[in-house]
Amino acid sequence: MIDTYTRLLEAVAETEDKAAADAAVTKLIVHLKSAGRMNMLPKIVRELRRVASRRHALRPRVEVASEKESSAALAAASALGITARHATVNHSLIRGWRAQSAGKLIDRSAKHALTQIYQKVTV
Amino acid sequence: MQSIIERIEKEIAAWAPDVGSEETGVVRATGDGIAEIDGLSNVAMSEMVLFDPTFDRTLADALKDPAPIYGLVLNLEEDGVRTVILGEPSKIYEGMLVRRLGRLLSISVGGSLVGRVVNPLGEPVDGKGATGAKEVRPIEREAYGIIDRAPVNVPLHTGIKAVDAMIPIGRGQRELIIGDRGTGKTSIAIDTILNQKSEPAATRPICIYVAIGQKESKTAKIVAELESRGAMAYTVVVTAPASAPAALQFLAPFAGATIGEYFMEQGRDALVIYDDLSKQAVAYRQMSLLLRRPPGREAYPGDIFYLHSRLLERAAKLSKERGGGSLTALPIIETQEGDVSAYIPTNVISITDGQIYLEADLFNKGQRPAINVGISVSRVGSAAQTKAMKKVSGKIKLELAQFRELEAFMQFSSDLDADTKRQIDSGRRMTEILNQGRGVPLPFEMESAIIFAATNGYLDGVPAEEVSAVEAKLQEYLSREAGGVLMAIKESKEIREESEKTLREKLQAFLERTVSAA
Repeated sequence: MIDTYTRLLEAVAETEDKAAADAAVTKLIVHLKSAGRMNMLPKIVRELRRVASRRHALRPRVEVASEKESSAALAAASALGITARHATVNHSLIRGWRAQSAGKLIDRSAKHALTQIYQKVTV
Repeated sequence: MQSIIERIEKEIAAWAPDVGSEETGVVRATGDGIAEIDGLSNVAMSEMVLFDPTFDRTLADALKDPAPIYGLVLNLEEDGVRTVILGEPSKIYEGMLVRRLGRLLSISVGGSLVGRVVNPLGEPVDGKGATGAKEVRPIEREAYGIIDRAPVNVPLHTGIKAVDAMIPIGRGQRELIIGDRGTGKTSIAIDTILNQKSEPAATRPICIYVAIGQKESKTAKIVAELESRGAMAYTVVVTAPASAPAALQFLAPFAGATIGEYFMEQGRDALVIYDDLSKQAVAYRQMSLLLRRPPGREAYPGDIFYLHSRLLERAAKLSKERGGGSLTALPIIETQEGDVSAYIPTNVISITDGQIYLEADLFNKGQRPAINVGISVSRVGSAAQTKAMKKVSGKIKLELAQFRELEAFMQFSSDLDADTKRQIDSGRRMTEILNQGRGVPLPFEMESAIIFAATNGYLDGVPAEEVSAVEAKLQEYLSREAGGVLMAIKESKEIREESEKTLREKLQAFLERTVSAA
């Protein structure tokens, strides 16, 4: 049951409709109260936190080595199927950019290229 | 220096940005050698993944320790995957990037592995540098079907009289060695490896000794012994010591089977020893419990039988069309207090083609090897036994069984008739003849000649307590005086009429000399 309720709330959250989400939560609480199953609430919250953290880890993101590369990187990533609202700066990339979303990674950074060469030569 | 510069320049020139995308995941949680991963939605079961320690570090930090750590996907779940970590688990952290490799767990195999000690991933652990093995093979694969197989019909001599005479092993067979700890299971396996030195190079099996969950000191001792006796020239050692992660202990026998299959497919004979599968089962149980798979009997997972059956089914004698190679398996199982009816022993007994059962009581009485002939059996080996050995050892098993019964009866009665006394004396002598120290395997022709002498009454006048000493003298005498007969037996694999006549003459001469000396 916990899984079912969690999925339901997850589906409502995906619609990004705050009013619908509030209504769903209120109805769920009323239902659990009437069924005498309020002890399920903390477990549902824990599951939702887990889902949220997974979504956060797999969210679309674009990293660039310098601010000036942002717009080009966002456009390139978008052309390859990863759309992010903005890019974050990560100086450790040295040059270029990398984009991640839902288990997909496109790495066009100089750091990645140099690491690859290093591993090819030494391993 | 110049070559290094040239190599790096070549790599730089050849480098092109990777235009494709990779499938990746993120470590959600890790502990006890298991990692839970979010993402990797297309990953397959038993696929390798790479934990990338360089992803979220600066280049300088990344190059300090760029060695990747591999993982093996073992659970595909609704919201992620669970993997076992095939390396140092403390290097894995939450949020770490995991790359999909798109290939099943594989190791490099090749002729250059012979003489080397490797871990279950095929990496050398003997400090002699890279193995040079080029061919990459998945360590899990389906066993050959019946069309590709031929009947077991070539013997694999262990050099141990009791085994070769009564529990013969054929090339391509699976013969279990089972017994309590300290009863000589490993010794039988090592003697079998040592004995292969007496085989002609063309037909000598490549031996693979897989040490699972053993003390590293024990494995080092075995390797040193094999090296000092010249047996590493045809042996590969795969080791997953007690200190290795459970995942590596679980994988070690599969790695051994993969190496053995490589040689089998080259048309060669191979022998693989799994020492021991009880420890592998324990490692698999640990992994399964940590992976939250439902526990069954003795907390082992439901597929523990399948784990061993799919491993041992890979032993085979291939048909001529497939090259005629073979892979013989000698799995070892350790029992507790001689209990062969425990879960893992019964499983492996039912999978294999026979078992050599070693008993602690016999070991303590001084019998070596401490084989209980009554419950030891070889289901297919007799078809592979040489004519010579069949001829000399025909009735030994029955005679020994009768002797054991009479011996028990003797405890209640001191007044025995002459016939019973003769049978008991003969049984005692035969037991003494089959006694054999560790590390002294005998060539098959010598075994045949000695058992011939014992079963044809040449040692009847020798008191049981003197049989060992007389046997040693007989071996020396035969090597010195009967080289021609021994060679004839070795080449023809049988004792022909003329060989038998000469052998009888030599034995008579030996007897007269020994008796007169006494």
